[in-house]
Amino acid sequence: MIENELIAQITRAVLDGDPEVATDTTHKALEAGIDPLRILNEGLMAGSDEVGKRFESGEYFLPELMLAGRALKAAMEILNPSLAGKIQTAESQGSLRVVIATIQTDIHDIGKNIVASMLTAAGYDVTDLGVDVPLKTILDKAAEGGARVIALSALLTTSMPYMKDLINLLEVRGLRQKYIVLVGGASVTEGWARDIGSDGTARNAAQAVTLVRELLKS
Amino acid sequence: MSDYLEILERSNTGEYITEENWDLEKVVATSRRLVKKYGLQWDRNQVVSDDPSLADAIYQAGYEMAVELGVYCRSTERIIPIKQDEIDAGITNTPQALVMGEGKDARTLYARKLGDERPPLFFGGPPGNPIPQHQLLPNIISYVQEPLIDLATCGTLTEVDGFAVRTGHPMEIVATRLECQIMHAALNKVGRPGMGMLGAQSSVSELGNLAATQPRYLRPCDSHLIPLLNELKIDNRNFSRVVNSLDYGMINASLPCVIVGGLGGGPPGSAVVNVASFLVANVVCRAGYHLLHPIHVRYVSTSTRDVLWVTSIVGQAFARNAPSIIVADIYPKSGTGTKELLYETAANAIVNVVSASHLEGCGSADGSLPNCSGLEARLMAEVALASHRSKMSLREANLWALKLLPLYEHVFTQGAGNPGLPFDQVYDLSSVQPLDFWYEMYVEVKAELQEMGLLL
Repeated sequence: MIENELIAQITRAVLDGDPEVATDTTHKALEAGIDPLRILNEGLMAGSDEVGKRFESGEYFLPELMLAGRALKAAMEILNPSLAGKIQTAESQGSLRVVIATIQTDIHDIGKNIVASMLTAAGYDVTDLGVDVPLKTILDKAAEGGARVIALSALLTTSMPYMKDLINLLEVRGLRQKYIVLVGGASVTEGWARDIGSDGTARNAAQAVTLVRELLKS
Repeated sequence: MSDYLEILERSNTGEYITEENWDLEKVVATSRRLVKKYGLQWDRNQVVSDDPSLADAIYQAGYEMAVELGVYCRSTERIIPIKQDEIDAGITNTPQALVMGEGKDARTLYARKLGDERPPLFFGGPPGNPIPQHQLLPNIISYVQEPLIDLATCGTLTEVDGFAVRTGHPMEIVATRLECQIMHAALNKVGRPGMGMLGAQSSVSELGNLAATQPRYLRPCDSHLIPLLNELKIDNRNFSRVVNSLDYGMINASLPCVIVGGLGGGPPGSAVVNVASFLVANVVCRAGYHLLHPIHVRYVSTSTRDVLWVTSIVGQAFARNAPSIIVADIYPKSGTGTKELLYETAANAIVNVVSASHLEGCGSADGSLPNCSGLEARLMAEVALASHRSKMSLREANLWALKLLPLYEHVFTQGAGNPGLPFDQVYDLSSVQPLDFWYEMYVEVKAELQEMGLLL
């Protein structure tokens, strides 16, 4: 009974975007001897799934999404040591790492922020490099962090060619197969994403999370 | 200039804060607190509110936000504080009338009042829609040949002579200059060479913009964009645009594209952020006029209920409390060759004109495709003028919005949107006239609007 209450409180903390309560209740749950996997799946992930649904339905807005991401990240710092060795090998940990950026010369970030928040809320280890990020920085950070996914955003049609440049750079460096490269933005179409040799695009943040999941499975 | 340089210097000396903390601890927290403090709410069936106390409360909350937060410089990661007397001076000094263009084609934009007896003005063009090079001239002509259009804007070039245009690259200079030359060619072609322009749409960084500030491209009587970034942010690129145009003497149009459902939260918080954005834009963008262009966090378009509510209440808030020249950007979800585009255009035109804005449009198909033409701009102006002539009240405008919304709201949940057809499939490029099916669609919708009671 107490266990169920603690799990429910963790879920609620994510829904409320409250990092303090999220860390506090995660501590308490671990002290109460609750299986860390249950805390992760039934507490934190249940909360993040619900946040995603509420955002898609229009009940939640960007702030709720960003704050939920903060709460989840804070709780994961408490939980991670207990999860070590329980669910992921070093290799699969790496597969959860995503580097995301708005490509060089473009300064629009809301779409990128939403996708980053949704991926974080879905449990991915997301490194958000910000906006107007040079290609070299994206490649360096992806290599340093052992990322499996590079997610690129551009709103401007005149910044989109730099996405193609990044893929070309990966190819000439012999690194293309190392990464899943996703592209997104208001003007990015499926056809264009295919033509430049990316691994795909999504119409919205929820679909982006699904796409990442599917591509990492395959 | 020196007072502006003093503000610019604050971007080097202001309080340091990470961008994430600016977003969450400043913008989100302040928006939430002010929405609660003023008890701000919206009603999905009151797209056009006729409650003056609500417009005043939105204004007051936005004013508090502007004074409290100032603006964030993304380049230096510092807060630029703006003193209350500077915000007040911005309100006092904002132009009440502004001449754009020259000679017989000049027009005077003015700060509209609610129920203003003077007719609104119309910018014709698809601001920012990507247009193929060979279609740009006829596309601009399709707008500026319309007698009701007063001022010109245009789409952007994404290729020049088969070479991709890249932001921050020499090609941006080439594209921006070419765009301006084509705009002048279009104005000459229709015999309106002095028409005022909102140009350099192909310039995203400062490169193209600076390269176009010469009379051959943009004249001092023209205007260009000074965007504020989401939310309440600016950077050195845009500061460069401002200092350049202050010296050159060109008109600055502020463009804060507040995201409804973004950092401001729901519609009331987003309206507060939009008010604050215009107030800080008086100071940091040195805006001659403001472009009212909130966008929907999921659907982009300005035609949704919540975005229409924001545009209306922000227009009213300024008309009542700080009269300013405001031009509402119309960005329909739908593209040319669809009836929904025309319904969306009509709804936007009515809502914004009764709420004291001038109009610019249309960025059809969310401004992301070349699916736009002068015919919807004709309807935009006709509907706006019909609303103006009939002295339409806020309450009546709300009833119109509620009648029009069900005719197009389904497009927002259609997976692929409602893009319609590109310009060259709805217009004859030689004669620059709409093809029969597109013209007949326009006639049908116009007849429907007349049957519904609009005095077109």
